[in-house]
Amino acid sequence: MGDILQIANSTAFWIFAFIIVAIVAFQAIIFLWIAARSAPEADLTKKEVKTAIRAGFISSIGPSFGIAIVLISLIALIGSPITLMRIGIIGSAATESSAASIGASAFGVELGAENFPIEALAAVMWTMFLGGTGWLVFTMVFTKSMGKTQEKIQKRNPKIMASVALAAMLGAFAYLASQQMVNGPNHTVAGVVALTAMVAMMKYADHRDISWLKEWALGFALLIGMTTGYLTTFIM
Amino acid sequence: MNNAADQTANVAADPRISGTEASSMEMFYRRSHFWGRLTLLVIIIMSLIPPLYISFVLDAHPGWGVIATGLVGYASFIGIMWVLEPITYYPTLGVAGTYLAFLTGNIANMCLPCSSAAQKSVDAAPGSQKAEVAGVFGIAVASLTNIILLVIMIIGGTYLISMFPPFVEGMFGFVLPSIFGAVLGQFAYRTPKYGVIALIIGMAVLFSPIFSLIKIALCVALTIAVVLFMEKKKGNLE
Repeated sequence: MGDILQIANSTAFWIFAFIIVAIVAFQAIIFLWIAARSAPEADLTKKEVKTAIRAGFISSIGPSFGIAIVLISLIALIGSPITLMRIGIIGSAATESSAASIGASAFGVELGAENFPIEALAAVMWTMFLGGTGWLVFTMVFTKSMGKTQEKIQKRNPKIMASVALAAMLGAFAYLASQQMVNGPNHTVAGVVALTAMVAMMKYADHRDISWLKEWALGFALLIGMTTGYLTTFIM
Repeated sequence: MNNAADQTANVAADPRISGTEASSMEMFYRRSHFWGRLTLLVIIIMSLIPPLYISFVLDAHPGWGVIATGLVGYASFIGIMWVLEPITYYPTLGVAGTYLAFLTGNIANMCLPCSSAAQKSVDAAPGSQKAEVAGVFGIAVASLTNIILLVIMIIGGTYLISMFPPFVEGMFGFVLPSIFGAVLGQFAYRTPKYGVIALIIGMAVLFSPIFSLIKIALCVALTIAVVLFMEKKKGNLE
């Protein structure tokens, strides 16, 4: 593995990685600008814009750390810059490790094996990079038509769109939460506690009209759920 | 929506669209499509460069047969997600949110929670334009935070991780059930009945013997159908 990591960590790959990072950052900044330009028409005051940005920031800290911690497992296999390129754009530690192991076995070697030729690293990279473009191509081509469909529904009956948006969110997260909670009793505790904490905080914030609590609610609920889940591993 | 006076003020404040029919929200969609597609195109091209480089500059081409085998193997189980995920998450992400989330990744565990936190913090109703724009702020900021943290972690790498006390890693083992439970609570607390229905559908789908990758899309579709049916029965959709 040693020689391979030397190649995988070479300057050229670092340059590619930083170009990809720069594009992601550029896109985020350009969309902040687009949203800021349309904020008044969408009924967002200057103060609400700041509130929304703060809420996004607070809520992203927990998940970002979670993502960063799992990516360490990939560094040992494919080196730092390629990990950065793959996790920085669409693709999670789970999808990319499966792509990497499939690419390696297509070449006839096992990921992390002692004798790992550079051609095998190339096979791994092709599988990961081409595999990841599937989402990008579909989104690039079809988001516009999904937008047109939404517009049509919205024009005909705006209430339908509101119900669809709420139900889609509930459906997705009910499934994701169920899937996680059946992993074990501690996972169930973490999920249920986070859910309960969130409901309690949101109700309290509504009742007392405390807007800052709504910005922090997700961060707090995440921390409470994680801590409780971890602490129960000592007793369950 | 806004009253007429507000809209005139907005149009007048933007010299580029004054005198035209385009409202600010139309500009929002036009700009989102333009910049969204452009940035995705650039990233797609950029995704081809590292593999081409290792194959033809470093002269380590594994052969097209090997590449095809790897890609077909991967696509055989992940390929359906390329189509299903954007469609499944579109109703909650919106146009701009979709472009952002599918470039930066981590849709369910980061982008959607941050979008909904931003929407709830300004009391935006789901599906409204206010929610769409507030959600964009949430996702864009999350994308920036995430990429900055990733760079720090990659450079500081294993050294930073070794500085964490061991319980931190133990806690992060529970990041997924906690965040999914919390977001479910965030959307269910005003309509607990729908939350319970969604959970029942979620559990039922989870344990049914069907192809696992389509399960989440199926759960979303079923929940939408049931909620629309119940709203219609209550006469809320007239």
